Amino acid sequence: MLLGGHDKEYVHRDTPMNNPDVKFDFTPENYKRVEAIKAIYPEGHQAAAVIPLLDLAQRQHGWLPLTAMHKVAEVLNMPKMRVYEVATFYTMFNRDPIGKYHIQVCTTTPCWLCNSDGILKCIERKLGIHVGQTTKDGLFTLSEAECLGACVNAPMLSINDDYYEDLTEQDMEQILDEIKQGKKPKAGPRNGRRYAAEPFDKLSSLTEEPKGPGFGIRSDL
Amino acid sequence: MNRLQLNRLITPLSRIKQHGYIFVANQSTAAKKEPEKLEVFVDGKPIHVEPNTTVLQACAEAGVEIPRYCYHERLSIAGNCRMCLVEIEKTPKPVASCAMPVMKGMRILTDSPLTKKAREGVMEFLLVNHPLDCPICDQGGECDLQDQSMMFGSDRSRFTDNQFSGKRSVEDKNIGPLVKTSMNRCIHCTRCIRFGSEVAGVSDLGTTGRGSDMVIGTYVERLFMSELSGNVIDLCPVGALTSKPYAFTARPWETRKSESIDVMDALGSNIVVHTRSGDVLRVIPRINEDVNEEWISDKTRFAYDGLKRQRLTAPMLKNRDGYLTPCDWEDALSVVAEKIGRSTGSKMAALAGRFCDAEGLIALKDFMNQLGCETVCVEELFPNVGASTDLRSNYLFNGTIAGVEHADLVLLVGTNPRYEASVLNARIRKAWTHNDLRVAVIGPKLDLTYTYDHLGDSTKVLAELSSGKHAFSKILSSAKRPLIILGSAMFQRQDTESVYAATVSLANKLRSSLADENKEWRIFNVLHRYASQVAALDLGYKPDVKSIIELKPKILYLFGADEGLIKRQDLPNDCYIIYQGHHGDRGALMADAILPGAAYTEKQGIYANTEGRAQQTRLAVTPPGKAREDWKIIRALAEVCGLTLPYNDIDDVRSRIDQVAPNLTRINTIEEANYFKQNADLLQNHKTSFTDSALTPPITELKDFYMTDPISRASLTMAKCVKAVEEQLKSRHT
Amino acid sequence: MSLSNRITPVLKEIRPVLSVNHAEAKRRVLNLYKIWLRQIPYIRVDYISNNWTEPELRKILKENFLSNKNVTDIRVIDRLLVKGQMDFVETAEIWRQAHNAALFDRSMDTYKQKPKHFLERFYEGHH
Repeated sequence: MLLGGHDKEYVHRDTPMNNPDVKFDFTPENYKRVEAIKAIYPEGHQAAAVIPLLDLAQRQHGWLPLTAMHKVAEVLNMPKMRVYEVATFYTMFNRDPIGKYHIQVCTTTPCWLCNSDGILKCIERKLGIHVGQTTKDGLFTLSEAECLGACVNAPMLSINDDYYEDLTEQDMEQILDEIKQGKKPKAGPRNGRRYAAEPFDKLSSLTEEPKGPGFGIRSDL
Repeated sequence: MNRLQLNRLITPLSRIKQHGYIFVANQSTAAKKEPEKLEVFVDGKPIHVEPNTTVLQACAEAGVEIPRYCYHERLSIAGNCRMCLVEIEKTPKPVASCAMPVMKGMRILTDSPLTKKAREGVMEFLLVNHPLDCPICDQGGECDLQDQSMMFGSDRSRFTDNQFSGKRSVEDKNIGPLVKTSMNRCIHCTRCIRFGSEVAGVSDLGTTGRGSDMVIGTYVERLFMSELSGNVIDLCPVGALTSKPYAFTARPWETRKSESIDVMDALGSNIVVHTRSGDVLRVIPRINEDVNEEWISDKTRFAYDGLKRQRLTAPMLKNRDGYLTPCDWEDALSVVAEKIGRSTGSKMAALAGRFCDAEGLIALKDFMNQLGCETVCVEELFPNVGASTDLRSNYLFNGTIAGVEHADLVLLVGTNPRYEASVLNARIRKAWTHNDLRVAVIGPKLDLTYTYDHLGDSTKVLAELSSGKHAFSKILSSAKRPLIILGSAMFQRQDTESVYAATVSLANKLRSSLADENKEWRIFNVLHRYASQVAALDLGYKPDVKSIIELKPKILYLFGADEGLIKRQDLPNDCYIIYQGHHGDRGALMADAILPGAAYTEKQGIYANTEGRAQQTRLAVTPPGKAREDWKIIRALAEVCGLTLPYNDIDDVRSRIDQVAPNLTRINTIEEANYFKQNADLLQNHKTSFTDSALTPPITELKDFYMTDPISRASLTMAKCVKAVEEQLKSRHT
Repeated sequence: MSLSNRITPVLKEIRPVLSVNHAEAKRRVLNLYKIWLRQIPYIRVDYISNNWTEPELRKILKENFLSNKNVTDIRVIDRLLVKGQMDFVETAEIWRQAHNAALFDRSMDTYKQKPKHFLERFYEGHH
């Protein structure tokens, strides 16, 4: 089954993994979170909590089965269809089973210019899967993503909630090896020179003192 | 801003319902002060419109029609088709006129080069992914996309499939036996979705996915479970949702259209019957703001195939072996007349069913009265206390259907309007969403598509309410314009007198405490189930089936009476039963002689709906075989019996109706009925004695809605609906 | 108020077809009747297959003329005269065939009259 926004189906078909009989219920801790999330929204507008609750359900279950959507609809007292609409709209909701680590490689222009294709090929070679596939051990799912908003640190990818940036193919192999060994690789820029998205050496813009009030305004005003 | 302030800001919006859309259209017009009108210019022509009107509405007022797909007067504004783009001076871009409120001095250009270019562009985008299957599309000829691409589209195509990738293709959905989907044609206007969640109150349809992969559907495979589902066919501006029973049968320009009235329920929804060479091909709604707006129920729309099945097409008489055999009218009438001649009027009875028109009813009553028979009844009972049916206000929906929109509280007693009068239920829902109507129910807990205060289903609640002891009494008496709707099914109960008397006294109590400006407000309403009931009562029929059984008649004239209220074993053995009607149903089964009549599409007949509004059906097709119009059959039979009814044509019959019940000949008007107080006074001495049985309406589930009368029982489509609903209930995708 | 409304209507002048007054029209009708009457012996022979006798033909002739007895408009009378004249020529020259000439004879009409009485209409199914 293919993953990644564009290839997904937007209708539900029963599978052994995903059907109306799959058991899903929030855990007691998560029920507390549900109540906290619902409390953010004013009375009568609780349906607005649908996105955070779907996210909560996905974090609990790993992916988002049909019954989880039903649960969210039940909790928020809204029609199931309205939940389906939200869950299918956002590509971050995985409505099919995925691996434990969801690798989303950014292949949009800035990353692509900085060799995101090489990164992708490296992962494919290393894990033996293609985009949209899951490894046999159920550990990794690979998908292509549109811009994840870290272009300054291109090329980059995200593994679950963590961004790995300024990647080279060696970095990639190292990251995957570490994950396979059960370790958690350090997130963030990999080139060792940067803390976040600051310039490599010195400021290249906004270097001068900020102008005071009245700058550039006509003298007769 | 702290939480408290936030709440206060949001309170006016607190009625946003669970479906996630905000209603904008059709807002309550109960504004206290007349707001100042704004002057806007449409193509240079100045007009004055109310503030809050949209640019599209302002243009309509100026007589300029803006093309649109997603915008619909009765649905909320979506603004997603972009077809209504117009240029407004001093705005940088074209503006979607359906969603843009007018502003003072706005100069709208509906014919400018920019507007034209914008429309052409939108049309081009819509057509890029719209299949060119107009020749095999059922919408062809009544397709908004076709018409508007002719009017506003470009005159040539720039579409070339460079990469041979084809147009967007979407899988068709199976949403039931009524609505056929062809999703390739869908232009994503979301009218069907908005109809489902706003009008029908069934949020089964939605959009899934995004961008060019967006699809309209149910996500899981399931039935579109609504009693109003057929209306999405009319709403769909393209051929994506079409009628399954009507698929591939005709083009709209080939059909003859007859404006008529529906008789499946007592609302008298206005319909157009499409026919071709003597066949009813389909039924679609006709706009009548006072009755059905522009919706009709699925039974109204799809039960027409029942008009071709189980029909009685020739007169029949029982032969020596006891089998009904077809014969000529001469034979049938002479045999029946002979039987009638041998009996005396006092030992005769007549019973009229749910589909009888006023013409037939008056003819039968005149005939029976001339024979000396006074036991002329209708199938629905009515409590025989107080003024009973002598005062029209006792049995009418006095508050009128449109009046629901002005009410602030509706109390439903023993009725399920969703399945007894679906369109009325949509109206209640509309008032509930837009006017903050409060609904209370005495009866079982049902899904009525809106929230309500459930007061319980026992008669005790009614007694407590009428004596003012119930917890809800306070709310009820504080209502400014309350409506009490009593279901006619409650008249079939053992303790009907008490239920009726308690309801009337409650209504009267509320009436006496109405504010002065609402003194004319009518609180007491009866929601009938049978289309013929009000006209029959107006014409003096007795609502008393039991009196027929007590009479032990020698002659029983069943005029379309198919409810099975009288059984053969209730009658003496030598009772001769004559059945006149159009379907071989329960009534015909026990008859000794059958006189085939015309169904509602086959005659011109007056029906009075539950409000007492007289409306007429029109002849769309001729009755099949030897079937004849009902009043003519009775007129002919009377003549063979040696009695002459004083009418030879429909105008004569109507002038006779005019003598008895003049309100029935004033088509499409409501004759006001009063005397609420007098009736309540008469009822004061009634001793209430309730039974323990719950106040349960007869139809509580959707599957029981489809087949309720001889026509829908004969309909294959309705049978399929019942099956589909049963399967859906068993399905895992609820 | 428009101009046309202000003009009071006056007697319209009409060009006569043949006759200028009723007296003249009557004279023409009688003349036509006479020439038909004189032709009757020949019609009987020319259309022998219709089995008409001369008294019958005189009756038919009278009936056909009297069927228009209520016509008072001179121009209409004139047009009927012209038509009668043409019929006469066609009949006298035997341009008609026997069945065609029989059309003058109303008693030979074969189509069934529609029933007028309610019960008969009901049995026949005139809705």
